[in-house]
Amino acid sequence: MPRPEQNFISFEIDGREVRAPEGMSLVDAAKNGDVEIPVFCYEPKLGQAVGACRMCLVEIEGSPQLEIACKTPVEDGMVVVTTSDSVKQAQNAIVEFLLINHPLDCPVCDKGGECPLQDITFGWGPGRSRFIEPKRHFEKPLELSPLIAIDRERCILCYRCVRFSGEVAEDYQLVFLERADSTYVGTHQGHPYVAPFSGNIIDLCPVGALTSNAYRFRARPWDVENGGSVCTLCPSQCNVTFTVRDDAKVLRVFARDNAKVDDGWLCDRGRFGFQAVHAPERITRPMLREGGALHEVSWERALSEAAGGLERAGAGTAALVGGETTNEEGFLLQRLMREGLGSPHLDSRPGGALDPEQARALGRPELAAMVPDIDYADAVVVVDTDLQDESPILDLRVRKAIRRFAVKVVLVGGRPGALDPPADAIVRTTPDGGEAALGALAAALAEVEPVSVPPSDRRVPRDPAQTPTGGLDERQHGEPERQGESAGRERVDDLARRAGTSAEAVRNAAAALRAAGPTVVLWGERLSDGPRGRQGVAALLALARALEIPETEGSGLIEIPSGTNARGLREAGCLPGLGPGLLDAPQAGRPAAEIAAGLGEDLSALVLLNADPLRTHPDRAGWKRALEATTFVVAFADFESETVAEHADVVFPAESYAEREGTVTHADGRLQRVRQSIAHPGEVRPVWSVLAELGARLGAPADPPFLTSPMVTRAITEAVPFLAGLTLEELSGKGKRWQERDAAEAAPEAPSLPQADELEEPPEPVAPSNGDLRLGTTRSLWAGRETEHAPILRFLAPHQRVELSPQDGRALGVESGDEVEVSRNGSSVRGIAALRDALPPRSVYLIEGTAQDSATELLDGESTTVTVRRVEAE
Amino acid sequence: MTETNLRLLKDIDEPGLHTIDVYERRGGYSALRRAVTELEPDEVLEQISEAELLGRGGAAFAMGMKAGFVPKGDTDNYMLVNADESEPGAFKDRVLMQKTPHLLIEGCLIAARAIDAVQAIIYIRGEYEHQADILERAVAEAYERGYVGKDILGTGWDLEFVVHRGAGAYIAGEEMALLDSLEGKRAHPRMKPPYPANVGGGVYQGPTLVNNVETLCNVPYIINFGVEEYRKLGTEQSTGTKVVSVSGNVRRPGNYEVPMGVTCREIIYGLAGGPPEGREVKCFLPGGSSSPALTGDEGLDLRFDFETLEAAGSMLGSGSVIVVDDSQPLVPFALRLAEFYRHESCGKCVPCREGTNWTVKMLERIDSGEATPMDFELLAQVQTNIIGNCLCLLGDSMAMAVGSMLEKFRDEFERHAEEARARNEAALVEQSAPELAAAPSIGPM
Repeated sequence: MPRPEQNFISFEIDGREVRAPEGMSLVDAAKNGDVEIPVFCYEPKLGQAVGACRMCLVEIEGSPQLEIACKTPVEDGMVVVTTSDSVKQAQNAIVEFLLINHPLDCPVCDKGGECPLQDITFGWGPGRSRFIEPKRHFEKPLELSPLIAIDRERCILCYRCVRFSGEVAEDYQLVFLERADSTYVGTHQGHPYVAPFSGNIIDLCPVGALTSNAYRFRARPWDVENGGSVCTLCPSQCNVTFTVRDDAKVLRVFARDNAKVDDGWLCDRGRFGFQAVHAPERITRPMLREGGALHEVSWERALSEAAGGLERAGAGTAALVGGETTNEEGFLLQRLMREGLGSPHLDSRPGGALDPEQARALGRPELAAMVPDIDYADAVVVVDTDLQDESPILDLRVRKAIRRFAVKVVLVGGRPGALDPPADAIVRTTPDGGEAALGALAAALAEVEPVSVPPSDRRVPRDPAQTPTGGLDERQHGEPERQGESAGRERVDDLARRAGTSAEAVRNAAAALRAAGPTVVLWGERLSDGPRGRQGVAALLALARALEIPETEGSGLIEIPSGTNARGLREAGCLPGLGPGLLDAPQAGRPAAEIAAGLGEDLSALVLLNADPLRTHPDRAGWKRALEATTFVVAFADFESETVAEHADVVFPAESYAEREGTVTHADGRLQRVRQSIAHPGEVRPVWSVLAELGARLGAPADPPFLTSPMVTRAITEAVPFLAGLTLEELSGKGKRWQERDAAEAAPEAPSLPQADELEEPPEPVAPSNGDLRLGTTRSLWAGRETEHAPILRFLAPHQRVELSPQDGRALGVESGDEVEVSRNGSSVRGIAALRDALPPRSVYLIEGTAQDSATELLDGESTTVTVRRVEAE
Repeated sequence: MTETNLRLLKDIDEPGLHTIDVYERRGGYSALRRAVTELEPDEVLEQISEAELLGRGGAAFAMGMKAGFVPKGDTDNYMLVNADESEPGAFKDRVLMQKTPHLLIEGCLIAARAIDAVQAIIYIRGEYEHQADILERAVAEAYERGYVGKDILGTGWDLEFVVHRGAGAYIAGEEMALLDSLEGKRAHPRMKPPYPANVGGGVYQGPTLVNNVETLCNVPYIINFGVEEYRKLGTEQSTGTKVVSVSGNVRRPGNYEVPMGVTCREIIYGLAGGPPEGREVKCFLPGGSSSPALTGDEGLDLRFDFETLEAAGSMLGSGSVIVVDDSQPLVPFALRLAEFYRHESCGKCVPCREGTNWTVKMLERIDSGEATPMDFELLAQVQTNIIGNCLCLLGDSMAMAVGSMLEKFRDEFERHAEEARARNEAALVEQSAPELAAAPSIGPM
């Protein structure tokens, strides 16, 4: 759907002349004139107004009766009155009606003090009740789920939660039951409402009917302060507000509306994961390994031991950077490594190297889509990722785009995911068939369309002023070369076969995309992982070229990385061989897998900055060997993971995201501020200051020394040309995409995008022998540290789930629910089998990053096949 | 005496009229044949418009105008029959569907032709099981004879016809809720616009013409005999005849088809026989349980047509006349009505959900003698607060009927409460102090 044009009109409200975009809901337009029209059910984020609460009745000239403002689009010359006697009478009536069955237990209600029903009653209500009958009663409070309590007596049946469940999250679990004044909100057969986004209904509820079990009875609004920040638990980087008590304790997290990032929604991991900040098992003091065990030591001791150990290792030091690391921390670490220790070996990507030229190509502004482009695109391509698990808020975004704007969705990948049902075309591949599938799609797009569909006239060229010149320019004129038709068709057929899919599926997808204008491609980092990662990215870039992404306004790529701040770390210089600003580092470094191989050989020390290779990196066995062979390990960590407990020599306590100060970069290039909301617990110090201190001790002092986090930010903006001049004030509360600043012209240039027929030939699909299966991995929203350390989320911590096709299940004698063992080369994990109809045969999918039996046990960076067998009950 | 049953109910007692053979013998489906073979869809629409046929379901919206809103062209249009007749006092559609189902089917087909529909659906009240069975058989017969299905009467026009049974909610008869119910959702009224006839507003998003059973049963007559003949009965604004369901305190309750514009007295006394011997009409609801009550004095000599009754502060509605004579206390009657609406409120919007519930509770107190003198004013204000503030008309329906009774018979409401209170006190005295109760002349306290 094209981006709507805003045509401003003027109308009169309560005697005031007000301007507003034509067609805007009167409730919103009235705010332009500082007129508040009270509402309960109206919430534009939920889609169409439903008109259930009747609170927004107003007088509109020319209408014989009162009209509800929420469903009234403003028109030019409209005359609205919200203060007349008849409007007042209606408002009084609605408030009186609402309160007759409301318990008015405000003194013991969590919502008291921040309750729209209280506010509206005070502002627009009659002030007294004439209702003397007994009120309606329900059993209360009940657990709607382990996360949410429901008090049906307080509920005013505004429809918001039910609409959220049905129309935003599309989980269709919450419904109205019974009717008339017996109506209540519930679930089918009373099942708990457990879903990835269930917590949003707490924010939506305009009364105290839905309350958070984590926050219930912990504080009143006047006991707490709210601080805005960014959730760094996943790459979505949602804007959040921390509710803080006594400057020390986070009590609650709720959404801080930013339409350009999150649309005001949060996933339950982001909403409830904050409890991990206060987990008693958190590391809050520096530790040192002495006599084989970790002991708490003073900061000075820890710092001098760390500095000494790293100095001894010198250029033999390597570093891994975890995804939650801020730009500032990453920048300081690469500075410490490169300038202090003279070692180029640091990597922020767990899955494999990223070619520097490709990194620069992917960083180009004309290839970058921003999140709101999803809404207004004609088509969205999702490659090798399940958004609901890997960037949940973008899953909601794509659903919204489909539902409201009829965006076409094409899925490419091996594993059936949450977006399968609404997708328009699905190219189902083998687990590592992404490269071949994208190549096939790019080639198919170049095919002559048998039925002539005119290319969409919606591919509006970018504003030349917005497009940085150079580098990619010649492409804009180069017509894609038309090959001989039959050769092209054969190529599509062959690539589709190599991807393990059908040429028909590829052509269907191509047909959907060919007719589309602006197209956004959301691609999972795993496409660029492993030995064929470079070719995977090349295929992606070829697809971008075939889709004319660089030339089309509103088109672009958005990466779904494995780490929260993957883009920021890349741009701050945390890739081997790439310094700050994606510029070539003076010395090429080794990627993570080669670091593992080199540890115990020519590498002797390892710095782990919020990184846990035994949990997140492929080839767990290799990393185990490597860590054992490493002489000296310095870890910045918040919990005693296996890596820390068994291998770290010096442990610095890491900050939680509620304590951090710094910036992170969204995958769409938006820099956002992470703000400190609570004091550091125990002896935790800011990580940037520890890194700065180590830098100063190890030959990379700064002049002037880094005394504050903003000084580090400033150093980044000086080192990264395309961030030049960026200030924290400019980022303000909602962040800023660097591509939208003038300095974006300084983005490093990249070679032109490959054409579909220039791509390397992908390998033949792996042919598993003896009933073995091709291993694919996936992530789970709930496989993470938060689910283990936040008490309220513990019930969601996943066990390993082994997804098989029913055919393979039958062949192996495995049924859903059976315990199975998956093994390869002596490594094995156990999990519970789940047979999925939509899964292609001969593939098996396991979850990465579970606490036990993680799929990373089975990965060694190579495409791989595994043996699955049923575990007989003992 | 007024001549009755001239058109829709003309052959109603003919044995086997519900079968297609008898219906065809009586001239049935000739109008359809004419409409599809001799007339263009636009001409059909024009005739309906010129006849000024007003909707018989309650809202009295001109059918021709409504059909004219349905866009023609590349949309999938739907013809939807609202046969969810559930209002207390209304039973006219039932007799039409039971006795002469083909008349409805024929009218529906002609209307479907006028809007170029791809599917016709009869949404019938779930409790009308017998009638639904009959309709299903009739539709099957119509398929067999080629009146429905592919290539109707050889004209190349295709139309599927479905009988859909409701699941027991009065609100499903509200046209927007009916759409939701038909789509498999909870029967909650949707907001207008978009209206059903608009793109995106109707069933399955397609433009939909929604008409009442009786309205459509008038259509074959218009096509058969022409607009002029059709307008010979009725008044200038309320054309044609009306099937009136008379119930309550009358000697001959039932359905009577009368020309629009006869007096209410003619219907209540002339046709339905009036109240039993020795009683007078206290009041009556001329348009079903949702219409404001008219007292016997003000209402009996009014003409029974849309414009006259509206001018008198009531409405013709679905044409269900509920008669209350002077032996019938009004408070239990009002309470019974309010209970119905409370039970049937869908619960979506606030004034209806809470207002009907509150009204019932207050009427219960009045009926049982626990009312205070302030309650009557409060009851009246609650009705005012409901009217015009709701999402659909269900809440208004209760408030108009109850509000009008309270307004016109305030004395009786107050007396009723007072008498009940006195009875309660006497009972209390008898229970707690039987010796006092036995004593004479203790009088009200």
